[in-house]
Amino acid sequence: MAVSPLVAPTTDALQSSSRPTSSSLKRQASAVPSSNGNGTPNLPSTRAAGSGGMTLDPIEQLNEDEKRKYIKGKKLGEGTYANVYLGHARHDPSVLVAIKKIKVLQQTYRDGMAPDAVRELKYLRELHHPNIISLLSVFSSKDQNLNLVLEYLPLGDLEMLIRDVDRVRYGAGDIKAWMGMLTRAVWFCHDNFVLHRDIKPNNLLIAADGEVKLADFGLARSFADPGRRMTANVITRWYRPPELLFGARHYGGAVDIWSVGMVFAELIIRAPFLAGNTEVEQIALICKQIGTPTEDNWPGVTQLREYTVPSEVVPVWGKEAYMGRFGAVGPDGVDLLVRTVALDPKKRITAREMLEHRWWRTEPKPTRKEDLPRKSSGGEEKMGADLRRRNGLLEDESNSRGSKVARKLDFGQAK
Amino acid sequence: MATEDARYRESSQYQLWSFSPTQLAAMREKTNAAARARIAQRLSSMPASSRNTSAPTSSANTPDPDGASTPALPEFLTPAEEALLVTFNTSELLRAGDHAEMSDEIKATAAAFFRRFYVTNSVMTYPPTEMLMVALYFACKAEGVFLSITDFIKTFGRENPEEIIAGEFLLCQGLRFAIDVKHPFRALRGAVMELGTFPDIEPARLAAAEQRAREILRFSPLITDAYFHYTPSQIMLAALSLADRGLAERLIAETFHYVAPPANNSGAETPASSGPDAPAPSRKPAPRSDGEDKAQIIGSHIRDKVLGTIEACRDMLSKELPERREHWTNKAVIKAQITPLRKKLNKCHDPERWNLVELQRARREQASKKADSEDGDAEDKAGGGTIEPDGAVFGGPLPRDTKRRKMGKGLEDPFGPPL
Ligand SMILES: Nc1ncnc2c1ncn2[C@@H]1O[C@H](COP(=O)(O)OP(=O)(O)O)[C@@H](O)[C@H]1O
Ligand SMILES: [Mg+2]
Repeated sequence: MAVSPLVAPTTDALQSSSRPTSSSLKRQASAVPSSNGNGTPNLPSTRAAGSGGMTLDPIEQLNEDEKRKYIKGKKLGEGTYANVYLGHARHDPSVLVAIKKIKVLQQTYRDGMAPDAVRELKYLRELHHPNIISLLSVFSSKDQNLNLVLEYLPLGDLEMLIRDVDRVRYGAGDIKAWMGMLTRAVWFCHDNFVLHRDIKPNNLLIAADGEVKLADFGLARSFADPGRRMTANVITRWYRPPELLFGARHYGGAVDIWSVGMVFAELIIRAPFLAGNTEVEQIALICKQIGTPTEDNWPGVTQLREYTVPSEVVPVWGKEAYMGRFGAVGPDGVDLLVRTVALDPKKRITAREMLEHRWWRTEPKPTRKEDLPRKSSGGEEKMGADLRRRNGLLEDESNSRGSKVARKLDFGQAK
Repeated sequence: MATEDARYRESSQYQLWSFSPTQLAAMREKTNAAARARIAQRLSSMPASSRNTSAPTSSANTPDPDGASTPALPEFLTPAEEALLVTFNTSELLRAGDHAEMSDEIKATAAAFFRRFYVTNSVMTYPPTEMLMVALYFACKAEGVFLSITDFIKTFGRENPEEIIAGEFLLCQGLRFAIDVKHPFRALRGAVMELGTFPDIEPARLAAAEQRAREILRFSPLITDAYFHYTPSQIMLAALSLADRGLAERLIAETFHYVAPPANNSGAETPASSGPDAPAPSRKPAPRSDGEDKAQIIGSHIRDKVLGTIEACRDMLSKELPERREHWTNKAVIKAQITPLRKKLNKCHDPERWNLVELQRARREQASKKADSEDGDAEDKAGGGTIEPDGAVFGGPLPRDTKRRKMGKGLEDPFGPPL
């Protein structure tokens, strides 16, 4: 039964102090409406604020306290809706954090808090997993902007490693370790009814100990009820599955699995596997390299709104066809790869099934995370360019179709 | 499932927003007391001419015996009165959501947001009639529906988008940035699916129970404190039990592998349950093997505890069954119970917080003054700026001479002209 627990005794929620607190977010948060044990809520008392002489309300005081805990440093990167800064704890400068400050977009987005920010906040607040970037705290800066305090992930992202062919060498055991961490992250999302919808090497950040962390939940959403429509315009094109390219409005975890498969392939060949310049080109590449989606291999596909394929039908390639290019991960690895790129999303392997695949248990063993290859120093320079490629919505689209799709959503579809 | 239990305990709903009744009451009292103190202080430091009491809207009230010369403090709302206003406005919120044809999840999320916000904020501080619209708009976003604010306010016959946007951040802060609300709807679907595998349960009975339970979930837990005290599946079971007690007991028995004593009582208020001779649906029974394990792991005392919890939740929901929707829109009820509180609120609201648009404007102004010296996003500042711990972030004094916004439209009808 897919229900929440029957046996969570509500009274346990009262002993806030007895709960494990792994992040300041929890501590800070439980300090608000929780009690100090004798039933008296622990609201901070009103204090007079410095210059203005105006008093702060409890909620404002809490925010002040939270903000005070961190000191912001240099800029680490820039995205479409946020700037990311290095930061450290006031009490201990060796505790590093990344502060993602959501940009004020009043000119372009006059509808209050931007969708990316809402999604990222919603999901990171709830998902606690070693392979998902953790949100340590949230506060608002004086201009009423949202600041997300994230764990600092200093070793770049998977894209940097993949691209730095000259200086970064890695093998099958390393790929297996990275893929394992990615798959566990995706499994955890799906198990919590969350779709990431923007999986790509550039959103897989690397912690100081080598752990891979899925980041950037700016396009995530909850699994809809069957029957509720979702936008097809998600996932960066190269990682976008055929059902989305064909405009499917009902989809599930399989969309992320395709992306995982694309990352897998890219890790092996050290270049994007299917790098179309347009959606049409992307579909053509899928047809050529994987096979043409037809009613035979994917019942119902021709009914999808934007189904069009090149006239020359390519039969779906078997495992053997992949061995030449992807054989570095062995036949079991190739077997797994092929299952992630099944054209029909219903036949695509799930994250859980991936974790049960025999490849993880065959030689070579996944490399221990401490021993994984790391980016060579000086890798930072290329960050800027990567960031200009918007996650999920590519530049060309976010200005045209993407934004229109978002605008068109209305209450009717929300039902 | 044990993992689900552990999972729920990780949720912000459990960690931040679950309390016992005693604790919740204590928090509300504290919120009320703190607001009184702040407002009293703020009012008495204001020039008499700009006091709430001089606002034209309050003229209908009894004349101040002390005259305008002695600035007596207004009468404040009690915690009970605040609670009543929150409940009334939750009903208004749900009506507004119906009016806009929002999904069940959006309405439920909005209601939870609204009630959470007023645990640590007083209705005397921030206007509930505004905040309920803010909660609806933000709930749309939280549930993944991104509407333009212009379209949103049009639905409600409103003109000023600023009123909503101004409160959004405030709401978000009041929610401690936890914007994921777990609802019982999914659990109900799961329960119905499971019950559907029992060959002896008539589909018609099940369908009727589901419909009634869903109707209850759309209202009763949202307008009560159920979300603060119970898990989604407890709420679901309580609603199901109100709809068809026999079915709820069956589900619980199944979950805990517990065979209930022959029913002589339990079905009392439920539709006649299908006997063994009822036509068996051709669905295959679910595998039962893991029931054995559950029974061993979960002792009967836990089961009893669960039953007790569900019973308590059921009691809570039964006080606000969907039929009570009419109660909260009944003119006589509003006149007798709500109108006097509104009048009181006219006089005792927080002069520095009540007008959300002005409040935000003042904060922005404050921020932009500071923006030049620090916190800039410009590249050349890299390595420099710190997050200043200055206390002026939420402002020096707000402009006090600005004319108070009247409480007209918002209070009369939160969502515009009648349909
Ligand atoms: N926790 C972090 N630690 C270090 N760098 C980070 C962190 N989070 C983000 N960054 C840097 O900022 C960039 C943008 O972050 P991201 O979350 O991907 O935002 P966007 O949604 O704008 O793509 C990343 O590509 C990375 O270079
Ligand atoms: Mg990114």
